[in-house]
Amino acid sequence: MPQSGRSDPLEPLIRVEGITKRFRGVAALNGVGFSVRAGEVLGLIGPNGSGKTTLFECLAGVLPADAGRVLHQGRPFSAADRSTLLFYLPDAIAPWPAQRTRWAIEFVVDFFGGSRSALADVIHRLGLDPFLDVPIGQLSKGQRKRALLAMGLLTTQPVLLADEPFDGLDLRQSRELAVALRDAAARGRTLFLSIHQIADAARVCDRFVLLSGGTVCGEGTRGELSSLAAAKGLKTAADLEEVFLALT
Amino acid sequence: MRSRSAWLLPLAGKEWRELLASRAWWIFLIAIGPLVGFAFISAVRTYGEASGLHGTSPGVGEAFSPLIGIWAPTFSACELAAAFLWPFVVIRLVGGDRQSGSLKLELQHPVSTVARLWVKVFVLIAGWVIASAAPVAAVLLWKSYGGPIYLPELATVSFGHLLNAGLTIAVATLAACVTEHPSTAAIVTLGVTVGTWILNFVAAVHGGFWERVAGFTPTAMVAELQHGLVRLDVVLVAAVLIAALVWAAGIWIRLGVPVRHRVRESAVVGVAAAAVVWACSMTAVSRDFSENRANSFSKPDEEALRRIATPLRMVVHLAPEDPRRSDLDRRVIGKLRRVLPALDVRYESSTTIGLFEQTDPHYGEIWYELGGRTITSRSATPEGVLERIYELAAVTPEAELEEDIFRGHPLAVEPRGAAAVFYGIWPAAVAGTALIWRRKS
Repeated sequence: MPQSGRSDPLEPLIRVEGITKRFRGVAALNGVGFSVRAGEVLGLIGPNGSGKTTLFECLAGVLPADAGRVLHQGRPFSAADRSTLLFYLPDAIAPWPAQRTRWAIEFVVDFFGGSRSALADVIHRLGLDPFLDVPIGQLSKGQRKRALLAMGLLTTQPVLLADEPFDGLDLRQSRELAVALRDAAARGRTLFLSIHQIADAARVCDRFVLLSGGTVCGEGTRGELSSLAAAKGLKTAADLEEVFLALT
Repeated sequence: MRSRSAWLLPLAGKEWRELLASRAWWIFLIAIGPLVGFAFISAVRTYGEASGLHGTSPGVGEAFSPLIGIWAPTFSACELAAAFLWPFVVIRLVGGDRQSGSLKLELQHPVSTVARLWVKVFVLIAGWVIASAAPVAAVLLWKSYGGPIYLPELATVSFGHLLNAGLTIAVATLAACVTEHPSTAAIVTLGVTVGTWILNFVAAVHGGFWERVAGFTPTAMVAELQHGLVRLDVVLVAAVLIAALVWAAGIWIRLGVPVRHRVRESAVVGVAAAAVVWACSMTAVSRDFSENRANSFSKPDEEALRRIATPLRMVVHLAPEDPRRSDLDRRVIGKLRRVLPALDVRYESSTTIGLFEQTDPHYGEIWYELGGRTITSRSATPEGVLERIYELAAVTPEAELEEDIFRGHPLAVEPRGAAAVFYGIWPAAVAGTALIWRRKS
């Protein structure tokens, strides 16, 4: 567990400042900044190509950022902090494709020191029981996504970054996953989810970071974002989709 | 509290399962049987014929050493497998993590990337040891024919191929970590292998510095160990190269580190490795484990040579590609270096093949200088060279004892049952094991 120390209680768990990432001169992220508060479910919302995955990969240390910094409780974030504080669940991966799902989940728990006692419950809640003996590489997109989420939920890092957790899931599965994620948050885990379907985000997130074209267009609760949109001329207390469209 | 090494067992178990799940590994295992079998069957047949099988005239001397007649050719199949098949197994195990995306999960663990790669290296070495069951089957067959086995030389040959496999693992691991795609990694690895062959060719043509460097290529290393010679400098250099390549691979497999940082760190590793390699190459300790003393003069000759304290200088007027020179190197100079550390050998020639130097009155001469005395000779045989050295140093070796003379182990047998073992039983057993494992796991 990360050392909390005697930090300012009002200080967010993670503060991201000025993250910039360019690919061959083209800015994928341009001075991105926002905060992650302890125990919240924060949604990173943006259309395809807005830089969500790039931002997650910069935060998780998968990609080197060109500029900017990440603070953990006010202190600069080290590589050691990253491995004890964050667990990043990338999108569109099929880890250990030849291995059975049960083995892969248990491996993540054993390797990262996760919770064996919660294994059966998480597997059951995500509806993975029928697929436990199927190799990961033979699972459908949605099944694989659920297997990956099971791995993420069974790790013990205080912050879980999940890239597109609802991608590939049907409505029922999305709702069940939302409940499972809310339960994890209720047990004190901080969740930072990248979501391009705004309806999914509205179902599960406490606060939102709106990302468009590599820039943060807004940050806050639904109410705060509505006010921001109203200030920009949105006439009615519209739903999140309209707020997003107004702010981006 | 979770132990600091709690990651090791799950990771080693995962790497082992990944190796067994790889088709490349099972195909490699199936292929090595017939490869070794073909080499073994040919070697036993030739050995048998040289020993008088089918009414042929029995030969004499070194031809009857199982090391030269059986084990060197049989195990050379392992060299072929290490060069052309083994890299694909390594790249599958190392590069597969990147392809599947599991690297992004695994690298979130705080354990260093170099430690992670060493786990892979040890699992791959275990895989190579399992594949060595094919040459072990050859050894058992040879024993069943009544063939003699001299364990020190057999162990030396096996060690040489293990070291060669280790070098292949290290090169392929680095290639898989530096490149984005397994096919690129395979091309790079095979390119390195071909590069070492070119280096050997350049060394044969130009000699000097190139010859010294080429002495540390996997081909040269395996050739020496296949003849039962263990040189400490070669073993140390191979170990340092393996460690440095895995270290560099650990630098390149990391995620989230700018390329310029990796290049800088790799350069530091390269410079450090070059310095250690240079220091290791100064070591002159060696041991001949062959039963027939293939890399040594007779005991009385060695004792006589050790009595020569004055530095000996030889100037050899033979071109690099002249067969007399390679004979001289292999049968005389290599053995002399092991007993005369102060030996200084220089080669003089103005062409690479020597064919057009025959008119030079000095071509073919060997000049000796010891303690201010000089002598010239044209003999390049071990007896001729030793005679000149003894003459200069005024020493006389004692006669070789009858029991010390290696008389060989003729064995006139056919390779009975070997074809069935290597072409039938081996592939079937490996394929059956693969199927059982796939169903069980």
